[in-house]
Amino acid sequence: MESLFLLIPIAGIFVVIAILIFIWAVKGDQFDDLNREGERILFDDDETDMKQ
Amino acid sequence: MSNVCFHCGDPIPTGLDIASTLQDQRREFCCYGCQAIAEHICGADLSMYYERRDTNTAKRSSSDTSALFDLLNDDDLYNEYVYQEAQQHTIQLSISGITCSACAWLIERHLSNQCGVISIHVNASDALATLVWDPNKTTVQVLSQSLQQIGYSAHPHRPGEQDQIHKAERKKAIIRLGVAGVGMMQAMMSAIAMYAGDMQGMEDSHRQLLRWISFLFATPVVLYAGLPFYKGALRDLKNRHFTMDLPVSLGILLSYGSSVIAFYTESGHVYFDSATMFIFFLLLGRFLETLARSNQNKARHNTDLEPVIVKREGSEKVIPVHKLTSGDIAKLESGQTIPVDGILLSDFTNVDESSLTGEYQPVAKHKGDLLRAQTINVDQQIELEVTNIGQNTQAATISRITERALSEKPRVAVIADNVAHYFVLAVLITASLTYAFWSFMGEAQAYWIMVSVLVVTCPCALSLATPVALTTMTNAFKQQGFLVTRGHVIESLAQTKQIVFDKTGTLTQGKFSIVKFVNLSECYSEELLLSWISALESQSKHPIAQTFHSIPPSKVDHLQNLPSLGVTGEIDGKTLFFGNAALMLQNDISFEQQQYAEPGKLTLYLADSKKLIAVVSLCDALRPEAESVLSTLRDQGVRLSLLTGDSATSAMSILPRDWFDDYETDCLPDQKWQWIKQQPHKGIVMVGDGLNDVPALAGATTSMAMGASSDLAKLHSDAVLLSDHLETIPLVLKGAKRCRKIIKQNLFWAAGYNATLLPLAIAGLIPPWVAAIGMALSSLMVVVNASRLNKL
Repeated sequence: MESLFLLIPIAGIFVVIAILIFIWAVKGDQFDDLNREGERILFDDDETDMKQ
Repeated sequence: MSNVCFHCGDPIPTGLDIASTLQDQRREFCCYGCQAIAEHICGADLSMYYERRDTNTAKRSSSDTSALFDLLNDDDLYNEYVYQEAQQHTIQLSISGITCSACAWLIERHLSNQCGVISIHVNASDALATLVWDPNKTTVQVLSQSLQQIGYSAHPHRPGEQDQIHKAERKKAIIRLGVAGVGMMQAMMSAIAMYAGDMQGMEDSHRQLLRWISFLFATPVVLYAGLPFYKGALRDLKNRHFTMDLPVSLGILLSYGSSVIAFYTESGHVYFDSATMFIFFLLLGRFLETLARSNQNKARHNTDLEPVIVKREGSEKVIPVHKLTSGDIAKLESGQTIPVDGILLSDFTNVDESSLTGEYQPVAKHKGDLLRAQTINVDQQIELEVTNIGQNTQAATISRITERALSEKPRVAVIADNVAHYFVLAVLITASLTYAFWSFMGEAQAYWIMVSVLVVTCPCALSLATPVALTTMTNAFKQQGFLVTRGHVIESLAQTKQIVFDKTGTLTQGKFSIVKFVNLSECYSEELLLSWISALESQSKHPIAQTFHSIPPSKVDHLQNLPSLGVTGEIDGKTLFFGNAALMLQNDISFEQQQYAEPGKLTLYLADSKKLIAVVSLCDALRPEAESVLSTLRDQGVRLSLLTGDSATSAMSILPRDWFDDYETDCLPDQKWQWIKQQPHKGIVMVGDGLNDVPALAGATTSMAMGASSDLAKLHSDAVLLSDHLETIPLVLKGAKRCRKIIKQNLFWAAGYNATLLPLAIAGLIPPWVAAIGMALSSLMVVVNASRLNKL
């Protein structure tokens, strides 16, 4: 079980990296339009369907 | 469902037949405008918009903003609004009519297919678009036209300071939420491992590792993400008025503080998971609430950019309002809002001063009189000398009317705040008494017993009870096209006893339609006569004139507005008059007035210089759903009142007296408000739309503005009926009642949980970790219970 002393802190470092990426994304305006982005992928999908 | 418009979802007037075949299906429309838009959309291969949009309705923007964009022909202004690089120009547009992401998709697709557009990005939440185009291939004027073809109107937008602050705050809120969410998950993961360890046994070194981890992740959550609560609590202490912020901060800091002590002394239990979860859920609730509220601010048009005709150095020029300086001579059309204070240079006009005085009847103004900003020039084209400019006049107007009414607005007790007030004191007193008692008894564990008491009484579930339910309800309402803009709305709606309706524009459609046409001539067809009338009215901005604008006009010369009478002009060499009975009398045209005039209908006459040619009756038609909605509301036990500025005869010709409990006619705006104030009980909902309803809207317990209301009415109401469908009102009342019930259940459960465990905790029977699990479970119960409100 000694591996826990290594693995848990490493997992912690990943979490910190994830938070930093999140902050970077927010500052880069990626969360400006919460209504929109979630659905964008659906529109793009249907469009390619229609063309085929 | 075939009797609603395919594009905008409005009911189609009976007898109207406007249809096209789109995507191999027959589609019906309520007007030619909608038909043109739908044909354009489908023609451009963008019909997916209709499949993807959230609701089957669209807000068709009626305002034509091309005059605004014509202003940008001026170089100075162009530089102000357009960011220019060598081959590409960029502008920010604020777009009205965006209701969901399908709209954003439609706009992006349509515009990027236009020649010369380099990129377009639409933000559906803020209704803002960033448009980049190649100035050699197209102009912003052309692009704004193509936006109008698909039913949206755009205004040039310059982000103000307020927007920047708002945006920065929103970003901070999202980061806080993210930090709290991730931190919470880590702290919980460690907590679950520790609970498992408590049951199965675990090595001390492992336990210590997990404590470290949860401490490290909880600390930024508590110190950074929880900051807004502490700020609120400090403000509460300063104002000596307690809101939920105080018990919330107390709960967070105490559970975190005692955990840190436990962590540091390596004894006792840590509650990092509870503290972080608490912060996350509360932040989430607040974030969703502000999100719902900011949706309301979409319609912030730049009034600075209204075009005005100004005479300078002998020539006429169109400039934006904010470029006017005192001493300028401005030319105003009839129906135009006077943008500045100024002195009348023309001989005579009537001015609607209802926005200032509440007086609905237009006031006569003569040469040399002072005209005030925000009043409306009713009659004819005038010239005025500008004396006062700027937003000062306008801002003063708005605040003057409403401050009065708002200051007397009855308040409905908000349950949570009452609870909070006493709760804080009770918790603190109990905890310190417990500590005092056990230390007096010489109990070594006295401190931990006190911590147990604090954790048990931690008002997590209690403070989540109301906001979670309100947030869920607000979102469910939004789906129905009912936008809640103030916090108290749902709770006050639940206590509705009386609904006061305005007539025009609220129960009726707020626009005239032709109900009767009598052709007295022998040689002209009805179509021809209507096209004459349309031509005569083509220059007028009077509401009556709008009725005829949809009819293709004939050619006309020597058009003239006759104040308070009508219009005159020359068609095919004939001088024609169109207006009221007084106009006919003035021209010595004799006829039997009784024969044509009907109460409640507006009768207008068309005549040449000798005799009457045609009689048109206009009437404001009732909304189709009005009757059924009123009877549903009555069944729900609501007192119904009508307050209208119209005369009794004209009101009763459309709305029968017995549909209502109170029927007040001839009300001035101020009287409407006074009448509402005199009602014996609270719980009055006012539904209105116009400028003359604004004082009443501001003064009622709860107010709803119709979606097509004037901006001022929307600004001062607590909720907006975006869909413009009255059916939403009974639905919303029912929902609000259900929401109140759920809040009560939640409060009962949370308070009951706290009250039952409290004596046990005081007696020292509950180990802190049991208290922590209980706290988490009770919060979860509250959240799950509130989620039942998702379905309206």
